[in-house]
Amino acid sequence: MGAAGATRAETEVDKTEMSNAATTGTQPAPESVRAAQGRPAKTLEARGVNLFYGDFHAVEDVTMTVAPNKVTALIGSSGCGKTTFLRSLNRMHELNASARVEGEISLDGQDIYGPKVDPVQVRRLVGMVFQSPNPFPTMSIYDNVAAGLNLNAGRVKKSEKDAIVERSLRGAHLWNEVKDRLDKPGSSLSGGQQQRLCIARAIAVEPEVLLMDEPCSALDPVATLAIEDLIGELKSKFTIAIVTHNMQQASRASDITAFFNLEETGKPGRLVEIGPTEKIFTSPSQQATEDYVSGRFG
Amino acid sequence: MPGGIRVEYQEELDRLEASALGGLDLVTAAVSRTLEAIEHQDVELAQIVVADDDRIDGRYLEVHQALITLLATQSPVATDLRLISALLHVLKNVERMGDQCVNICKMIPLTGNEPPADQEMVKLILSMGSQSKTLISQAKRAFEGRDIELAQDLVRQDDVVDNLNRECFRLALEIGDDADKREWAMTMLLGARAIERIADNAVDIGEQVAFVVTGLFREFEDASHPSA
Repeated sequence: MGAAGATRAETEVDKTEMSNAATTGTQPAPESVRAAQGRPAKTLEARGVNLFYGDFHAVEDVTMTVAPNKVTALIGSSGCGKTTFLRSLNRMHELNASARVEGEISLDGQDIYGPKVDPVQVRRLVGMVFQSPNPFPTMSIYDNVAAGLNLNAGRVKKSEKDAIVERSLRGAHLWNEVKDRLDKPGSSLSGGQQQRLCIARAIAVEPEVLLMDEPCSALDPVATLAIEDLIGELKSKFTIAIVTHNMQQASRASDITAFFNLEETGKPGRLVEIGPTEKIFTSPSQQATEDYVSGRFG
Repeated sequence: MPGGIRVEYQEELDRLEASALGGLDLVTAAVSRTLEAIEHQDVELAQIVVADDDRIDGRYLEVHQALITLLATQSPVATDLRLISALLHVLKNVERMGDQCVNICKMIPLTGNEPPADQEMVKLILSMGSQSKTLISQAKRAFEGRDIELAQDLVRQDDVVDNLNRECFRLALEIGDDADKREWAMTMLLGARAIERIADNAVDIGEQVAFVVTGLFREFEDASHPSA
């Protein structure tokens, strides 16, 4: 998913990144038909991961699995490294010039930081949805969804592209709302619709994993619940990791919860506890987790 | 951990715990009066117990509503959530124990002003009641102290009540041919049974203590699958 990932407005990651994706042209065209009901997704595994910005040690020694066809929520107070860790999972962390990664991150056993691995390809397999919806504002709704296809898959027949756009919009619960105005600009949609458009764009290239960084923090409660429902459905096809500050969202929308924390400001963030969401929210094993989920600090 | 966040919520939860457990003190008072009414065939005192049960029911309603409000507004999780769940159970136990006292006190007038009481059986029932009060206060202390061992010990204390109850039954069987006396004994057996249930409710509270501490619910004793 070079598209949504690499064009994040805030970081000004630009089109050269995307054109690289287009020119590499190594990716096969997405299968035109994927099994409608569920498919086994891939497992992301982090082993002994340390993340740095220059001298600053942001994340220390994280070993965890993002299980396939499950939603894994990463929670923790601001600055605990959860977003940094998420960004390392599709090699977006390294887009920051001073950033460094140590340790191993693999997708179904394959090291995504291996010397011959193309980061753009990694980002196609491991898609990202951001905090504030970032559709290409002047592009049509249709072209927004097709953007990743155009860049990643080389030539795709119009009829095939139509099918993928429709399927992706349906998959993102947006089709019925936009099917009669696919040529309107992406910016004409509401915030919640724009976020679903970004999800449609992310799933159009059929990634294995979807990473979501606070996908609902800019949305109202109804739009938030719509996205949460959508996340619940998407896990039948994808492996999903979501960073959220909203504890209720983590408890509602995730199967597994990972709690990150830092001992004090300036120290690196660490993974304190990971387990079934139900356990984390009813009887966590660590006092720090208990204090955080109960709202006693953070 | 810094205690500066959610102070009011914490205080409210503490207050509700004290209030729910305070319900056990109301029950203890009701049991004491009930026993006195049995001992002296005091119909008036029995009527007071029946009327006073409104206070126990009131405590139930008030704390129950406040706990539901906490659930709705504060999204409690982890230990807080387990505590609130346990307190809802405890309230129900308190309410049930109060009702058992009412059941007994409603029977007292039925036996007449000068019933053909068997003093041995009365003594047994008073012992059961006194032992039940021990269980109630022990359950309260176990809850307050989150003391699983003390909670678990309620099973042993409850065995004493169960044995006394069986003894009552035996006495009732052997009470003789006099019809009035047999009727009195039957009524008293129902009273003994009610006291036995009060003690069981205290054991249930002990199980909630274990749940709050460990996050796992298990029955201390499973009546439908008793161990050997």
